[in-house]
Amino acid sequence: MTSITWKEKLADSIPQDWASQIDLFEAQMALRKQGKIDEKVFAETRLRRGTYGQRYDNGRRHDGLTTQELVYPNNPLTKGPDTLWDAPGMQRIKIPFGALNPQQMRVLADLAEEYSDGICHVTTRQDIQLHFVHIEDVPSIFRRLAAVGITTREACGNSVRNVTACPLAGVCHTEVFDVSPYAKALAFYLLGHPDTQDFGRKFKIAFSGCRDKPCALVSIHDLGGIAKTKVVDGKVVRGFELYVGGGLGAVPHQAKLFDEFVPEEELLPLARAIGRVFARLGEKKNRNKARLKFLVARLGIDEFRRIVLEERRTMPEDPSWRRFFDEIPRYHEGPGQELVQLNGQKKPQGYDRWAATNVYPQRQSGYATVTVKLPLGDISSDQMRALADITHRYCGDHARTTVEQNITLRWVHQDKLVSLYRELQQIGLAEPGAGTIADITACPGTDTCKLGIASSRGLAGELSRRLAEQFDSMPPAVKNLRIKISGCFNSCGQHHVADIGFYGNSRNVGGYTVPHFQVMLGGRWRDNGGSYALAMGSVPSKRIPQLIEVLAGRYVAERQGDESFQDWCARIGKKQLKEIVNQFTAVPPHSEDPSFYSDWGDPREFTIGDMGVGECAGEVVSLAQFGFTQAETEAFEAQLMLDAGEYQKADERAYRAMLTAARTLVQLQWLDVPDEPNVIVAEFRRRFVEPRLFWDPYHAGQFANYLFSRHESPDTRYTQDTAHKLVEEANLFIDAAHKCHARYQASLNVLKAPAPAASAGPTA
Amino acid sequence: MSSAAADMESHKLIVKLFVEDPSAIRADEFVPIFHSWIQMRLVAGHQLIDVADYKHVHDGPGTLLIAHEANFAMDRGQGRLGLMYARKQPLDGAFRQRLASVLRIAQEAAVRLEEDVRLQGRLRFRGDELLLRINDRLLAPNVPQTFAALRPDIQTVLAELYDGADVSLEHDANPEHLFGVYAKASASPSAAELLRRLGGRT
Repeated sequence: MTSITWKEKLADSIPQDWASQIDLFEAQMALRKQGKIDEKVFAETRLRRGTYGQRYDNGRRHDGLTTQELVYPNNPLTKGPDTLWDAPGMQRIKIPFGALNPQQMRVLADLAEEYSDGICHVTTRQDIQLHFVHIEDVPSIFRRLAAVGITTREACGNSVRNVTACPLAGVCHTEVFDVSPYAKALAFYLLGHPDTQDFGRKFKIAFSGCRDKPCALVSIHDLGGIAKTKVVDGKVVRGFELYVGGGLGAVPHQAKLFDEFVPEEELLPLARAIGRVFARLGEKKNRNKARLKFLVARLGIDEFRRIVLEERRTMPEDPSWRRFFDEIPRYHEGPGQELVQLNGQKKPQGYDRWAATNVYPQRQSGYATVTVKLPLGDISSDQMRALADITHRYCGDHARTTVEQNITLRWVHQDKLVSLYRELQQIGLAEPGAGTIADITACPGTDTCKLGIASSRGLAGELSRRLAEQFDSMPPAVKNLRIKISGCFNSCGQHHVADIGFYGNSRNVGGYTVPHFQVMLGGRWRDNGGSYALAMGSVPSKRIPQLIEVLAGRYVAERQGDESFQDWCARIGKKQLKEIVNQFTAVPPHSEDPSFYSDWGDPREFTIGDMGVGECAGEVVSLAQFGFTQAETEAFEAQLMLDAGEYQKADERAYRAMLTAARTLVQLQWLDVPDEPNVIVAEFRRRFVEPRLFWDPYHAGQFANYLFSRHESPDTRYTQDTAHKLVEEANLFIDAAHKCHARYQASLNVLKAPAPAASAGPTA
Repeated sequence: MSSAAADMESHKLIVKLFVEDPSAIRADEFVPIFHSWIQMRLVAGHQLIDVADYKHVHDGPGTLLIAHEANFAMDRGQGRLGLMYARKQPLDGAFRQRLASVLRIAQEAAVRLEEDVRLQGRLRFRGDELLLRINDRLLAPNVPQTFAALRPDIQTVLAELYDGADVSLEHDANPEHLFGVYAKASASPSAAELLRRLGGRT
């Protein structure tokens, strides 16, 4: 046996510039271990390589009974603030427009097996993620990926993230033209470009081949292009309807139309100009206001457009874009070989069900695209390798990941669908129901994400199991609904654009913290994510399956003609929807049903620290719950006013909801605080914000600022956008108030706890 | 000891112990068990971190107990349920000592699982069969030469484990798989007895 490294073995297989960057990163790792690079600098360095932190990487984990310290050999060495060197992390791998070939799939399978937990996870932005990765393995991962043409550069951090595109691009019936080569050109043109290195936040790009379908979700992106053609001087020319400033997150924004038609040759330079303006004018200090959507909102789309076009006119020449643009006409994709036709194959049991949902006849006669439905976006190393073989034999080497966390196999000869189905069956990947209610999207949530509040994957797994059992008996209208789940309000599960969406939060009940999900209804998946849902109230995690049954039942029973779920929601109105949701908000006492106090798939009690149940706390909780309920009611009323076009009233009611929640907190210390805005805000600031009781470890004082900002300098334009924003902020403020209350009560219980025996010793 | 085996630098050894009757076990039974191992810090020499559950993945890694030093998994790879111990961090000694160490740690876990009252005696591991792998395609490519180099040490360790019973080794020659060897013995001692022979505590 000889000792060899991946660096030596792959020396001739990696492009020189990529190899140098990986060498540099490895050197930075060594310097960090010697203490010669600041931990914050190193954190951003690794993030820009897709090397993320993961839950518990601060070295603390609550095991359901107590918080354990995680002791690693290299403690206290860190790879970022409060992030231990040895703690397992997540590696995100960019897959531009989701395109994978079999060689890449085999390497991904090997990496998952050797450095992760044997699972490749497909994300909602067509990336692949590996979890539980040790940072010392990362350079080898980079090199093995680079050898097959994959870079993780700028997969995370304040950079241009993975460029996504419709997974049906090139084979779709409704597309204007194939956007794949444009996505590829822009992805690699902007990769590492000097003009994209000084962003205050991430920057996401998507391409769609048509306006109406949802496959690329242009509306939720910082920059989005929809394929379009135009006749110029008698010739058909290609271009894009260009959108900017979209985004989900805590405060979602619909992208604004930048230009109805950007000629194809202008796409790359214009994207560069937008990047330069974002780098120069975008927020840098307050990360919660740093996405492009805030810059566009602050300047207004007209002024933003003017500045970008001026930038485009005056920016220094960069001819390098031409190299990427010139590749576009050479892009070709098709079947690898003409296959022998095998007619008359007997269809195995289950084939028709599968074909009804998972097979899409391509624009090209005789070929189909097959969607491989991945449960929770997960595929094992063995499955990935088998799928690579299938992709080679059936699909001309063309597979793509999707934003619904599946993999599509393209260019399957229709006469081979039966045998393909049999092969997928053998590896457990022939589940029907792709793109239906049983195909649930979920972000990692509390499984691995540091920001997760509730178990999005646990809930998705439970719902998937139940809905799969009921699937055959469901009316078609219900089958076609989409469910999307995020573990927190940051929207990685894209809950805003689902028929039925959820995001994780928590509520304090009788001194215990109970996992909940905020119910989001009325989002539009079609039209590239055409409209966003609004919050309808929080429901205990364990009651969500019942809620879905009732919602679906009501929809089917009351549906008029071909009425969509969104139209049904709009017709019956938010009051009725709220009444449905309210049926499921009750939480039984812990003594009656402790199952409500742990999350799906996680038997640990959902708790914060060593919280106990005290009588005084119970009374305080009772009063506080009353106040929070009132605040939630006011926020809901603000939503109704917003829907009715009463923007000033909506603004004022949302402000009132925040005041009520703040006053509820102040009452924990000063029961008779007068109901006067100036007093409430001053006391709330003094008692809760300045001592950092109303404080989030990741969002700092962001939520308090929503109230302060509205109180001190109200936006008196009273437009739909400003009112919508304040309603969203009010809901987030109330959620933060709930959390603050839980922490406050926990601290009281700690103070009340009997002194441990050891501390009584000296006085005995 | 063969010099080639002594030079085997990879520490990423894997042992899989197969379950006698998988039909007696539900897929969701191991999540609370592994969480309780973390709560009680049951595995010496391991910083236990978290539980990852992939029971929804067909023939996948099942339920994993993630530790810094290694992963424990009730694995369903290749369609067979078994306890897999996959070492991630170095162990002391030459290949033979490291192999014996991972076997001992795996058997300790097996005994602990068999004795867990929540499983009510339904879980038993086969004493006559196990799978060895090396999770390192660079240092242990799955080629006949690797098998030839490591075979003597594997035979030595397994001869001690099976206390003179006949042991046959079969190389898993699938080039896409990690280097692997299936070992089958003519005797089928209990997990507790195998652990005792490895010098572990029962």
